[in-house]
Amino acid sequence: MTRPRTFALVIAALLAIAGAAAIAVGRHEQPAAEPPRSAPPSASTTKSPATKRPETGTDELTRGTLLPTSAPTRVRIPALHVDEPVTGLGQNPDGSMQVPTDARTVGWYTEAPTPGSLGPAVLAGHVNYHGTDGTFARLSTLHPGDQVEVTRQDGVTAVFAITRVDRYAKDRFPADAVYGAIDHAGLRLITCGGDFDDRTGHYVDNIVAYAELRTAVGRSRAGRSQPARSAAAA
Amino acid sequence: MRMRRTLYAVPAVAALLLAIPTAALASESVHVKLLELNNTKASGDATLTATDNGDLKISIRSTGLVPNSPHAQHLHGSATGMDFHCPDMSADKNGNGYVSTEEGMPVYGDIFVSLTTKGDTSKASGLAVDRMPTADAKGNLKYDRTIAAADLPEGTIEHLKDLHIVQHGVDANGNGKYDLAGLGESTLAQAAGLSGIPEEATDPATCGMVAGAAVGSVPVGGVGTGDGSTHDRAAVWYGTGGLALLAALAVVVVSRRRSYVLSRAQR
Repeated sequence: MTRPRTFALVIAALLAIAGAAAIAVGRHEQPAAEPPRSAPPSASTTKSPATKRPETGTDELTRGTLLPTSAPTRVRIPALHVDEPVTGLGQNPDGSMQVPTDARTVGWYTEAPTPGSLGPAVLAGHVNYHGTDGTFARLSTLHPGDQVEVTRQDGVTAVFAITRVDRYAKDRFPADAVYGAIDHAGLRLITCGGDFDDRTGHYVDNIVAYAELRTAVGRSRAGRSQPARSAAAA
Repeated sequence: MRMRRTLYAVPAVAALLLAIPTAALASESVHVKLLELNNTKASGDATLTATDNGDLKISIRSTGLVPNSPHAQHLHGSATGMDFHCPDMSADKNGNGYVSTEEGMPVYGDIFVSLTTKGDTSKASGLAVDRMPTADAKGNLKYDRTIAAADLPEGTIEHLKDLHIVQHGVDANGNGKYDLAGLGESTLAQAAGLSGIPEEATDPATCGMVAGAAVGSVPVGGVGTGDGSTHDRAAVWYGTGGLALLAALAVVVVSRRRSYVLSRAQR
């Protein structure tokens, strides 16, 4: 009498433990929390200058530190434990942006300003790819103020701070806000989010993290400190 | 000298090619705000777009210029890192109330590219008013041209953000045209061997400074950064876990019922 019953209870206990463990794993594997889908922000395009012509003639139409043009080589996002190399991305024949060919590498869209120079630099990374989580799997969890460090070929590291993280439907992607003219050195980190459409094999949304250049650190190859052109009026 | 520069360039280019496999140059679009110079009330917007193949696409829309008159316009500055900018009225050294081209050049730099409507775009075409755009009867000027990579001075694309656009042609005496009665004869034209050109035709009317930059070639639609391969992983684990818990419950229930039945049979 007791033996089959004990045996059954042991089986039940094992099943219960396995089930709880599976649910725990599931919680761990859950996609990162995402911001609600946002309406495209008002294009933060070039600020219209004062109606009166400024008295001094320096570059006061732009703001913040601006670095010269230099291609990125590596990106570090301490909050996400990300430290990965950067590769160049162009366009596909249909005009869409190319994406990296592995889960880890981050892509720099080459038909855009380089990180740290005036304008929006664009980095894209996978949320997941070929069965593994991508480098940008938890991009949506970044908070305003989180740092993104982009090392460039000239040896200078451009340090950006996140200003905003948004989610957009891909079929209503706000090209102006993401790719349009800005009066400072900006950075856009792009990955996928929202629901996955099994029929098309694509995510329905994109996650876009916006950042602004805060400081530039590092030295040029010549060993001298790299002068950063500041737009602040003297 | 030239040889040495070439030798330096080789490793630099090689390093660039090794690091960025798909493209050597960032294509981008630089936005320039044209602001009045010499109190002309003229202003405008310009876009300089570097294309994939190194060409430069220029688009200028200005208003408030001297109507029905040609306006010489150039990219001023240099590709060697000089910090040029737009002058203010303190650049008017001779105090005639107008910053002339000669007075402006130390501030905004020499002519780098002449923005002609057709033909040559070098500094030599700086005063080629017959190939310069003309403002309409309302003083609006519209200019669009793509200059081929081969016709651009070395370093143009890399230093787009360091260049300035200057449009020339003012109307000092307010009679709606360029004439010698306004400011006399152009010393700039004289120096270039041209006589009888009014100073009004060569004095700057607007000077453009870089106000922003954008992506050079905007990609279509969203970005395909994910194949969903780990998207459902959590759901699969949840499902498995739920099934296991259900099975555990079932085993308990069945075993208890069986033991109940068995004990009854034994009785």
